[in-house]
Amino acid sequence: MSTLVAPRPQGTRRPNTWGFGGSLLLGVACLVVFLPFLWVLLGSFKTGSQLNDPTLITFHPNLANWRDVIDSGILQAAGRSALVGIITVSISVVIGSMGAYSISRYKTGGSATRFGILAAQVLPPAVLVFPFLDMAFRLRINDTLAVVVIAHLSFVMPVVTWFLIGFFDAAPKEIEEQAMVDGLSRFAAFRKVVLPQVAPGIGASAIFGFVLSWNDLFYALILAPGNAATLPVRIAGFNTFRGVELGSMCAAILVSIVPVLIASFFIQRRLVRGISGGAVKF
Amino acid sequence: MTAVHLKKVVKKYGEVGAVHGIDLELQDGKFTVLVGPSGCGKTTTLRMIAGLETVTDGKIFVGDLDVTDLEPKDRDVSMVFQNYALYPHLTVAENIAFPLMARGAKRSDVQGRIEEVAAALEITPLLGRKPKELSGGQQQRVAIGRAIVRQPKVFLFDEPLSNLDAKLRVEMRTELLRLQRQLGTTAVYVTHDQEEAMTLSDVMVVMRDGVICQQGKPVEVYEHPVDTFVASFVGSPKMNLIKGVIDHGSFTFAGGAHLPIESSHFGETTLGVRPEDVILSVGGDEGIGGIVEIIELLGPRAIVALKIRGTSLTAVVEAAGLTGISEGVEVRVRFRESKLHLFGPDGRRSG
Repeated sequence: MSTLVAPRPQGTRRPNTWGFGGSLLLGVACLVVFLPFLWVLLGSFKTGSQLNDPTLITFHPNLANWRDVIDSGILQAAGRSALVGIITVSISVVIGSMGAYSISRYKTGGSATRFGILAAQVLPPAVLVFPFLDMAFRLRINDTLAVVVIAHLSFVMPVVTWFLIGFFDAAPKEIEEQAMVDGLSRFAAFRKVVLPQVAPGIGASAIFGFVLSWNDLFYALILAPGNAATLPVRIAGFNTFRGVELGSMCAAILVSIVPVLIASFFIQRRLVRGISGGAVKF
Repeated sequence: MTAVHLKKVVKKYGEVGAVHGIDLELQDGKFTVLVGPSGCGKTTTLRMIAGLETVTDGKIFVGDLDVTDLEPKDRDVSMVFQNYALYPHLTVAENIAFPLMARGAKRSDVQGRIEEVAAALEITPLLGRKPKELSGGQQQRVAIGRAIVRQPKVFLFDEPLSNLDAKLRVEMRTELLRLQRQLGTTAVYVTHDQEEAMTLSDVMVVMRDGVICQQGKPVEVYEHPVDTFVASFVGSPKMNLIKGVIDHGSFTFAGGAHLPIESSHFGETTLGVRPEDVILSVGGDEGIGGIVEIIELLGPRAIVALKIRGTSLTAVVEAAGLTGISEGVEVRVRFRESKLHLFGPDGRRSG
């Protein structure tokens, strides 16, 4: 992607054009964002009574919440969520990239498809969930990961496709034409020459799609509330008839945040390039 | 022998026609240049030869093979695009090796060939670099290297020099010609620059609005343009085209000036005269009177803009012949009679 900003050579620093006021503003913004995280982090080490005492500053941390959460099978639920996310994203990227290529190069479906593909996002999930539930019962796949994957595909795939259209628009057409003259079929040119050019976009859209799937509560709760419950469903389970188990919930929330943070950290540069690279074209 | 043969080739986009049934035979080993203003169908024609555009009607042959419905990869051609179209994720060496490897060669087998091509184009030190680390001229060389590495039947060039600066363009032009002569491979080159077409081509094909106006050796096209479009398109500065009427061996300008002319024609005529065939002198009563408006000195020669009773005219004069000629001066204007072109009211050549 030579049109995008080239990485700066190491050892050079951009001059600080923000100055003190800018740094202060950023500091305040960080505080606003991070304070709830800090509260959740501390909360996961507090007992129930300590959590209900807002004046409490110092306390003896205890691991009871974490023990409860782990015993409740939250890690298995996280594993199921990861599995659902990975399968959903894999299918979405393979099919979405081909769809996006087709829409970008052949104007498949006319200009309406370009944005119309997102139309399903406008519908409340409740409209779609009952047909899904009915289908799941008939096929006897209710309360399985399969039906969750199918439901997640309904919103992850359009988003991934839409996201990638801009990347294919930005990839010069001549390069794949060159590859075709140089001896590749159209599909081989797509695979070997076009896809590498949109790799940042695929990485960014994959993470984006994974987070959408990972965070979904609504479909998972209705389609697979039992043995196949995903992480958000389990977290919601801490809202019991005896009230919200805040401590355990704090620990469970952290379990759900950490993988997303780690993934974002490793591809943050690609993510930024991806989002800006795609955004320019819309 | 014919290397590429287009038979009544038509290209339509929906209802709009881009190429209207052209017939073209490209001779083996020759450098053919398709030239014309933008929108004339020259690039479309080239892309149809490459297989990047479908053919609406007609047939295309490469050698004896009917390639009309073949994929680009099966046509045994190579192409250089205007923006070079280097693979951004591959190094220079991998870019050059691509056409060989895409056809199943192993990297170890092609190494020698890559080095040979790189040496010929003087890009050996760049082999390990990525395209974005190269200058425009270097990228151009890599693109040419990739085109010649496989020794195809035909080279296709789509305005490959137009992204280079003027000096580099002239250098690369010479190099391209030298390379093509050396390899003896048939080449088709598209450009809108008539000067490039004149200097490069063995055969020049002038196109306009999806049809071929004229084809032939550059000197033929220059000296015997078939119509006023070709006459004014080829040559710089442009040919003077003067509207007037011929009657009994005399050509009368729209402005009223008379010029004796040997011609059996009568009626409305456009008189074409190349700027270098306009002869200026000071004093005497030969020829017709004109006023010098502007003189542009180009070093050895000068372009002189004149007015003859309201008709504008351009002359190219040796700098040494400028004595006594300056802006605002009245000069006598004559035309080299053997070099006059006459065009009928429809713009076609009449004599």
